[in-house]
Amino acid sequence: MLHVQGLRKAYGDVIALRGVDVDVARGEITCLLGPNGAGKTTLVSIVAGLRRPDAGVVEVDGLDATSRSVEVRQRIGLAPQDLGLYPVVSVRRNLQLFGRLAGLRPRELATRIDEVAAALRITDLLDRQGGTLSGGQKRRVHTAIALLHRPPLLLLDEATTGADVETRQHILDLVRQLTAEGSAVLYSTHYLQEVEDLGASVALLDAGTVIARGSVDRLIAEHADPVVEMTFHTEVPAVVADADASVDGRRVRVAAPDPAATLASILPKLPAGALDTVEIVRPSLESVYLALTGRRYDEADTEASKEAEHVAPT
Amino acid sequence: MSLRRSLAIIRHEYVVMFTDPSTLIFILIIPLVMVAMMQQLFDQQLAAEGFPGANGSEFAIPGMAVGFGAFGVSYAGFTFFRDHGWGTWDRLRAAPISSVELITGKVVPTVSVTVLQLAILFLLGGPLFDFSVKGSVVAIALIIVVLAVSLSAFGMAVTAVSRTMQQLNAIGSVGAFGMAMLGGTWVPVDAMPGWAQAVAPAMPTYWAMKGFRSVILEAGGVGDVVVPLLVLIGFGIVFTILAAARFRLEESKAYYG
Repeated sequence: MLHVQGLRKAYGDVIALRGVDVDVARGEITCLLGPNGAGKTTLVSIVAGLRRPDAGVVEVDGLDATSRSVEVRQRIGLAPQDLGLYPVVSVRRNLQLFGRLAGLRPRELATRIDEVAAALRITDLLDRQGGTLSGGQKRRVHTAIALLHRPPLLLLDEATTGADVETRQHILDLVRQLTAEGSAVLYSTHYLQEVEDLGASVALLDAGTVIARGSVDRLIAEHADPVVEMTFHTEVPAVVADADASVDGRRVRVAAPDPAATLASILPKLPAGALDTVEIVRPSLESVYLALTGRRYDEADTEASKEAEHVAPT
Repeated sequence: MSLRRSLAIIRHEYVVMFTDPSTLIFILIIPLVMVAMMQQLFDQQLAAEGFPGANGSEFAIPGMAVGFGAFGVSYAGFTFFRDHGWGTWDRLRAAPISSVELITGKVVPTVSVTVLQLAILFLLGGPLFDFSVKGSVVAIALIIVVLAVSLSAFGMAVTAVSRTMQQLNAIGSVGAFGMAMLGGTWVPVDAMPGWAQAVAPAMPTYWAMKGFRSVILEAGGVGDVVVPLLVLIGFGIVFTILAAARFRLEESKAYYG
């Protein structure tokens, strides 16, 4: 349904995408996973026709997204990262506008508004002004707009950012349901847990490059062992800081296919009182990210967030 | 091009526009108050110009209508900035509509509101200020429509070069004030300083006022307003070219407020 090949995009000196390849089939959820600033929003924006790539190919349902952009957008439902609602008119009027723009006829539009409102549990909100809704309610309406015309390709960019637990669950349930009905979903997120909850395939994006692609299980099997992570009150003892360990200040990470055996061999050799904490990090997408980039995912996210305050959002 | 999709935006723009009553106050109430306050001044000016039967409304009504019409054109830009601020611009752009359909949907409400604004002020002028037109009503209508298109094109050109709401307000206000003052909408051109009289023809509002004057005071017909109409069309074309050359759909615009 979606074919992206060799996609490149720069904002001045800031390179957002460095040749990204992604494919999403019908009935598939592909999670575009990466820390803030990895290039997820830029990729989604280009697929949605909001930005022009510097190079590369984007095809939706076999149609070139640049030369046949209107037809391509007819096949896409986009929920951008930033909420987009007219606050001075009712939720129903918001839905009516975008439904009409998507080509829905009056009777069909009324039916679809009822259907998506029920699916996202916003029926009671239809006659309320957009500006009077809570953040979670706005997020649900925002998502509903993307679903009105039954798009075969759904682009959800950070769809649960700022959402309450209930809203998050509704959105994730809906994504699963739409996929079961045959839609292709490109779901951009920086929450590792959501990817695992959705059971989606993953395109792991880092600094504008897809560094891994596949199912969660496959990525973990290919790239991640459990890791024993230790922090010390002192410098990392030499007995630990050997070639197989990753040392970062007073913290050391040791890849350990058998963590118990690893700990059993290391702990007796440590100087008394040197060890502060020990943690066994089970293999997960975080382990995959760590294995592929040498950085912890949450740290990369925090660093990128700080950088994003100074450069163009990507 | 799908008219249906542009109409959907046009309809929505009207709904949004009239959720705020200040729009109505600005485009109708204030010009009428200004006419009431300044009618007598223009009465004497018109008598001095050789129209002893005039009561001043013959200048005040078109003058305030055109002047406030010029100020209203920033609304064309405001709708774009507002959509950026509400996050709805990207949603509109992601919809399956062409850029022409989108721009048409945004600009037509501004043109039509300017037309309505001028038409209503002219219509209310009769019962409220004893205003009458000696010449062709069709000629008046033609000037109103062409002026509204030209001013909206000016608004789009200002929008195209503005990156922030402040820039839009500043450039739009200076442009509108210049057009209103120098175009002779608030002070008759004959009463302006020599340098201002020399500059006046560079303003589209000057040509609108010239056309209105020939119809309202000199009983002119459509044939008498051909030159003003052609000049206004020329202004509209120049503003449209400027807007088209500079406007970028994907350019982000900063909306404050």
